[in-house]
Amino acid sequence: MSKAMSKKKSIKTSPGAKKEARVAYLCLIPAFIGLTVLTYGPLLAVFIIGFFKWKGLSTPHFIGLQNYIRLFTEDPYFLDSIKVTVWFSILAVVGTMVYSLIIAMLLNMKIPARGFFRAVFYLPYILPAAAVYIGWSWLYETNFGLFNYLLNQIGIKNVMFLSDSSLAVPSLAIIAIWLSGNIIVIFLAGLQNVPGVYHEAAQIDGANGFQRFFHVTLPCMTPIIFYNLLMCLITNLQVVTPALALTNGGPGNSTMFLTYLMYRYAFKSNQLGYASAISFVIFLLIAAFTTVLFATSKSWIFYEGGND
Amino acid sequence: MEKNAAPVKTTSLRRRSYWSKAGNIVSFLLLILLTAVVMLPIWWIFRSSLMTNAELYIYPPNFFPSRWLFSNYAETLQNFPFWQYFGNTMLIIVPSVLFGTLTATLCGYAFARLRFKGKSFWFTLCIGSMLLPNMVTLIPLYIMWTRGFGLGNTYWPLILPFLCGGGAFNIFLIRQFIRTIPRELDEAATIDGAGHMRILFQIIVPAIKPAMIVVALFIFVLLWNDLLQQTVYINSPDKFTIAIGLSMFKSGLKADWVRIMCATCLAFLPGIVIYLIGQKSFVEGIVMSGMKN
Repeated sequence: MSKAMSKKKSIKTSPGAKKEARVAYLCLIPAFIGLTVLTYGPLLAVFIIGFFKWKGLSTPHFIGLQNYIRLFTEDPYFLDSIKVTVWFSILAVVGTMVYSLIIAMLLNMKIPARGFFRAVFYLPYILPAAAVYIGWSWLYETNFGLFNYLLNQIGIKNVMFLSDSSLAVPSLAIIAIWLSGNIIVIFLAGLQNVPGVYHEAAQIDGANGFQRFFHVTLPCMTPIIFYNLLMCLITNLQVVTPALALTNGGPGNSTMFLTYLMYRYAFKSNQLGYASAISFVIFLLIAAFTTVLFATSKSWIFYEGGND
Repeated sequence: MEKNAAPVKTTSLRRRSYWSKAGNIVSFLLLILLTAVVMLPIWWIFRSSLMTNAELYIYPPNFFPSRWLFSNYAETLQNFPFWQYFGNTMLIIVPSVLFGTLTATLCGYAFARLRFKGKSFWFTLCIGSMLLPNMVTLIPLYIMWTRGFGLGNTYWPLILPFLCGGGAFNIFLIRQFIRTIPRELDEAATIDGAGHMRILFQIIVPAIKPAMIVVALFIFVLLWNDLLQQTVYINSPDKFTIAIGLSMFKSGLKADWVRIMCATCLAFLPGIVIYLIGQKSFVEGIVMSGMKN
C-alpha cells in the first residue's frame, strides 16, 4: 500500500516533469504510429471495407451486409473453413500445452547436459516454418515415408496422412506441436519461479511427486498456463503457412483454413471487400475465444498472495 | 521389522528417496527417448538429402545413407539459388531486427520509467494489441503499402513495421525487464546530471542486454517463419526470400524428393547456425526475462 502511494508522488508541472514527458513522447513516437496506423487503424478499415464491393482496381461501392450474407449463405468454403480452423486450433493448442508442459517439467530436473536437452527441444522453433512443413511432407509420404514404415513395424497398414481429408488436419497439428519450442521455454521460466519452499513444505508433509505436481506446481503455474494458452490460441486460429506452403487447402477442402481462404479471395481473385469480411470474421472468432478464456480465467488462475 | 519407532521413520524416508531417485532415472530415460523422437524428423530429412533417388525408395528404408552424396547439394544449388534467397531474406531481417530492437527499447523505457500524460491509456492500447490477430489487418495494410505508397514488390512493407516498436509483446518484455532494475541507479545518475537518454543508453541498456537479445531473436523468428506476408508483397523471382523460394521450388519439382530435401536442409541451415552462436543467451535470456511479473 505505502509503496503504491510513494510511487504516485509529485506529478506536477515542474520544468523537469515537462521535459520528462517530452522525452517520453519522443521515445513513444514509433509506438504511437504503430498502434494507430498499423494496428487499430487497419482493424477499423477492415471493418469498413467489409461493407463494400471492391474488385481489384475498380472503385469500391457500398453494399451493406451483402458480403456477410454471401459468406453465410452462398460461400462453398466458408462454413467448413471455420470448422477446419477451429478443429486444427483445438488439436494444436491442447497438444502443444500438454507436450510443452511435460517437456518443461523434464527439462527442469537436475539432469546432466541440461543445455543440450534444452537446445534440442527449442531447435524446431527457429527453423523456417515453410521448410518444416515441406520437410515433414516427405516423412508423411504414403508409400516411402518414415512414419508409415514405423507404423508397418507395429502392424498398421499404410496411412494416407496428408492425402486423406480426415487425417490432414491432425497430421498438420502434430507438426505445429513439434514447433512449440518457445512455449516450452516460457513454461521452463515459470517452473523456475515456483518457490522452492512450497515444494519443501509439501515434501515434509509427505506429499508424493504426483501430489506435489497437482497441488503445488500446477496451481503456481496457472498464470503462465493462461498466458501460453492465450497466445497459442491466437496464433493457431490464424494458421495459414501449412496451407500456403504445402496443401493449398486440400485434399478436398480439408485444410482450407480461414486465413488461407481470406488470402485466396483477396490475392488470387482480387475480391478485397469480400476478403475483408472474412478477416473481420477471423477477428470476431478469435475475440470470442479470447473472451471465453478471460471469463473463465478467474475461476482457475491462482495468484500468489490471495485471489483478489 | 517391528523394532522401535525411530528406525521405521528413517526407512520410510529412505524408501521415499529411493523412489524419487528411481523416478528421476525413469524421467531421464523418458527425456532421452523424447529427444530421439523430436530429432528423428530432422535426421530423416538430412539423411534423405544425401541419398540417390533409387536408395530413397528402398523398402525397408535405410537409416543411414549407404554413401553420403554431398554432391546432391551442388546439383540442387544449380536450380535453387539459395545464396540469393538467403541474401534477400537478410535484407529484410537485418534492418528489421536492428530497428525493432531499438524502438522496442525506447518504448519499453518510456513505459517503465518516464511519467507523462496518457501513459496508462497508451499502455493499455499497446497490451491490447497483443490480442489482435495480425492476419486480420493484412488487407488494409496491403492496400496502404502498395496503392497508397507504391511499395509493392519491395521489402519496405515487411521492414517498416519494425520501425514502429517491434511489436507490443517486445515492448512489454523490455518494460518488464527494466522494472526489475533498481531505480536508485537512475536517480544517482540524475544527481550526477545525466539526462534521460544518457540514463537509457549508459545504465539501462547494458543491464537489459539479455532481454534485448531475446527481442532480437523473436523478431528474427517472426520474419523467418513468415510466408504469407512475403508472398503477398514480393512478386518477382529475383526478390524471393528463402521461404517463398523453397515453396516455389517444391511445387515446381513435385516429387524429386532428394532435391527438395537438399533445399529444405539448406533453408534449415542459417537458423541452426545463428542458434548455435547465440544459444546460451537465447534460452537463458528467455528464462531470465520470461514472465517477470
